Amino acid sequence: MSKADTSGLQVSDVYTAYDKADVLEGVNLEAKPGKITCLLGSNGSGKSTLIRSILGLTPPNRGNITFEGIELRGLPTHKVIATGISCIPEGRQVFPKLTVEENLRIGAYQEDSAGEIQRRFDEVYETFPRLADRKAQLAGTMSGGEQAMVSIGRGLMRAPKLLLIDEPSLGLAPLLVKENFNIIRRINQQGITVFLVEQNVHQTLAISDYGYVLSKGRVVASGTPKQLSKTKEVHEAYFG
Amino acid sequence: MDIGFLAQYLMNGLMLGMIYALVAVGFTLFFGVLDVIKFSHGDVLTVGAFAGLATFLGLEAAGISHPAIQILIVVIVSIVLIAALGAVIARTIVLPIRSAPPLNTLLITLMLGTVLREAVRLFYPQGANPQPFPALLPTNSLTLGNFNLRLDNVIMLVAGVAVIVGTQLLLNRTKLGLAIRAVAQDEETARTMGVNFTLIVLITFALGSGLAAFAGLMNGLYYNEINFGMGLLLGAIGFSSAIVGGLGNIYGAILGGFLFAGLQTIGAVALPFASAYKDVFAFGVIIAIMAWRPTGLIQEKISERV
Repeated sequence: MSKADTSGLQVSDVYTAYDKADVLEGVNLEAKPGKITCLLGSNGSGKSTLIRSILGLTPPNRGNITFEGIELRGLPTHKVIATGISCIPEGRQVFPKLTVEENLRIGAYQEDSAGEIQRRFDEVYETFPRLADRKAQLAGTMSGGEQAMVSIGRGLMRAPKLLLIDEPSLGLAPLLVKENFNIIRRINQQGITVFLVEQNVHQTLAISDYGYVLSKGRVVASGTPKQLSKTKEVHEAYFG
Repeated sequence: MDIGFLAQYLMNGLMLGMIYALVAVGFTLFFGVLDVIKFSHGDVLTVGAFAGLATFLGLEAAGISHPAIQILIVVIVSIVLIAALGAVIARTIVLPIRSAPPLNTLLITLMLGTVLREAVRLFYPQGANPQPFPALLPTNSLTLGNFNLRLDNVIMLVAGVAVIVGTQLLLNRTKLGLAIRAVAQDEETARTMGVNFTLIVLITFALGSGLAAFAGLMNGLYYNEINFGMGLLLGAIGFSSAIVGGLGNIYGAILGGFLFAGLQTIGAVALPFASAYKDVFAFGVIIAIMAWRPTGLIQEKISERV
């Protein structure tokens, strides 16, 4: 292992714009390997744009994004994914007309070994026994909570080194939100680096190792959950 | 009416339905992955038929006259060439104008169709005239009263069914098919799953165009004649079939193709004094169906395709 291989995700001075309007204006942050790093911010602060920038869906105009020392900026999305990144997108985004099993299988799209894919299926079905019962059901016909399981399971089928999670609690009932955060913690305990983007401050900080606060396209605060829960930027970002 | 006549009409309807379904599946695949209407599809079919004919003439000139070898090489060369043409059109014309309004894609591919059609007319030797297409399949026939069952028609029907079933299996049972369906449903999420979007689009256009080449060859073998304008009507029929079945739905396209052929056949049977009007009749009924069900016969339950 070279030194670069353990460097996690580094975002340096990233500017991203839709058309001409800058959404991100010089974002710097880091997701350390093996940790849960969170990015908090209200609607329109640019959180999802940062995820899109990392994935190459909305490529940044300036700055650098590296994962394990590999420059991601300029790579097409499938090559970003190939570096060992997986994403649980905002709003779950299951493929409605694919079955549960097909949704999971496409999560492992870049894996060719049938044995490895089967091993991951077993793991996901162990985490979410309900999905095993509903393999053949079309994902579009499932409840929001079940779709969340499909989306998380699909992200895990990649067996990622880094998992990007975009607003997992959005639109879910409080009980399911709590369950989701427990699952994220367990995923992290398996050694997967997590970069979590959320609006839900308290539960997010409760499971994070380190956090950033994004406001109007800039990082306005960062620190451990303890430090962040006391800073006025967190409160301003949400209530100001 | 005589049962033999009816059987003859049925056979004819099945052959046409197969050809239309193959064209319609292409339209529906392109719409599925890119939300575009590619109007040059019919003329791509024409190029496929002419590529097949040129290959045949080349084989004759080279002294290769075994019919089984001839048909095999003609089919392979035509499909491979046209699949490549489809991918090139996607890469150089359709993908670059993706962010433009869909109407622009429709217009530009309409113009491309004209270019292809005129290219065949001008550059193929005697291209302005209909060209005889060789009977490459055994033409033994079985006559039962007024019904004349030809072996080549049976072979083509079986081959057509095999191609459609094969396409269906490719889409539903393979990793490639899974990627095509995922891209059709949600391009961005498919990319996020690691699917190489551009590659999948090119493969889909190659697949749809290869099916058109196959349909063009079937058409040539069935009528023993091809001409530079054949793709115009076949394109319009294939497009109508895809629309009436429910654009983006592969079963709908197949259903639409056979429906259109069925309507033409009914038109020809019911209007024996005016069978030249069978297309008018068929298109008229399609218009009526579209007025009744604007999104096609097989409606998408959830808002996505293929």
